[in-house]
Amino acid sequence: MYILQAIDVYKKFHRLEVLKGISLQVKKGEVIAIIGSSGSGKSTFLRCLNRLETIDKGFIEIDGEIMVQNNADGKAIYSPEKDIERLRRKMGMVFQNFHLFPHKSVLQNIMLAPLLVKNINEAEAKALARVLLDKVGLDYKADNYPFELSGGQQQRVAIARALAMEPEIMCFDEPTSALDPELTGEVLQVMKDLALENRTMIVVTHEIGFAREVADRVIFMDEGVIVEEGKAEDVIINPKHERTKAFLSTVLMAR
Amino acid sequence: MDYLLLLIPTMLKGTSITLKLFFLTLAMALPLGVILALARLSKFKPLNVFMQFYVWIFRGTPLLLQLLFIYFGLTFVGITLERFTAAVLAFVLNYAAYLAEIYRAGIQSIDRGQYEAADVLGLTKMQTMSKIILPQMFKRVLPPMSNEVINLVKDTALVYVIGISELLRVAKTAAVTDFRFTPFIVAAIFYLIMTGVIQQFFKWLESKYEFYE
Repeated sequence: MYILQAIDVYKKFHRLEVLKGISLQVKKGEVIAIIGSSGSGKSTFLRCLNRLETIDKGFIEIDGEIMVQNNADGKAIYSPEKDIERLRRKMGMVFQNFHLFPHKSVLQNIMLAPLLVKNINEAEAKALARVLLDKVGLDYKADNYPFELSGGQQQRVAIARALAMEPEIMCFDEPTSALDPELTGEVLQVMKDLALENRTMIVVTHEIGFAREVADRVIFMDEGVIVEEGKAEDVIINPKHERTKAFLSTVLMAR
Repeated sequence: MDYLLLLIPTMLKGTSITLKLFFLTLAMALPLGVILALARLSKFKPLNVFMQFYVWIFRGTPLLLQLLFIYFGLTFVGITLERFTAAVLAFVLNYAAYLAEIYRAGIQSIDRGQYEAADVLGLTKMQTMSKIILPQMFKRVLPPMSNEVINLVKDTALVYVIGISELLRVAKTAAVTDFRFTPFIVAAIFYLIMTGVIQQFFKWLESKYEFYE
């Protein structure tokens, strides 16, 4: 039983085909790292999984419920909006640029969605937010505003904000790419902790070291297709495909 | 001095008309502008096109002419409005058009990531607008908004054209009958006090919003 299944997903932006038949099946508790150069379609694919982008063709199922499937003409048809909203809530999302709400304090950022979407009361939301802030090591920043935090701290708040909705799957879209090198460590550490709790995670990343250490499975994408996938040590240490080798050597050389 | 004591009560009466028009216009145009801005940004094409047309009409013609149309022009189609009602209507429609454009620019200046963050957290479109986008928009539009509000104070003088005795008209009448220039000086001082207060108010408002960047 898979918590997420995406089968043969196609996506075009105008004429440019970004995803050319991507399939991914994720088991509960699995940590997947998607690597690849920019423009390979990895972020787009992640965004398609929670319908930040709509797909043209393919099948996506979350927790056993269909979000989108092909009709007889092979065109993607989405399920009714009400069902999709429920499915999307099982997906948490962390963005490259954090996208915290600048006019809300750190605590309010985390409380907002539980209050508005889950309709829990103020005290409960606050308690939940405190626990999550503590988990990402930022309980002392509760009353600060995002602009007062470093990039790494902002991203940790963003992770806590996503966790507050208790998603089944956490998606990370290049969570450390916008950070200064000395700040990536603290964010990766929080993500490692989440992986240790057996959370299901899909991480689009350039952090090869993290992928190797934390991911159960690594997927290498290039030009809209999955070129190679497998256990982290296989894909990263002994890549079979020439394109994987070329990509890894450029990334590792840049270190 | 004696003349001033005689003059000021009538001028204050004129000022009260000016202020009444000012506050009524603001009270209605500020919220109406938000609705119009949202309509302008709507993906529903007819609404969007209608709003472009609306803004074109009310920005593209003098407010003075709009006053004449609404007060005199409407009588030809059988609608007779009271002077002051006509004035308020013209001002609200006109200022809402300008404010809508300011709001629209403010809304469009908010990063797309804010919508996406709200979206993935499960907020509805309404919640995203009211809790995330509009509060941030208001902070950004405060400077152009204070311009508009100050313009409004001065524009109220235009209602003389449909015979409403606001501040400037009262001053002019006094100046002509008494053959003195003093009423104009007093009027200038009154306008400066009003716009000065507004300036300070917006300064305070902007500082209140400085708690975040």
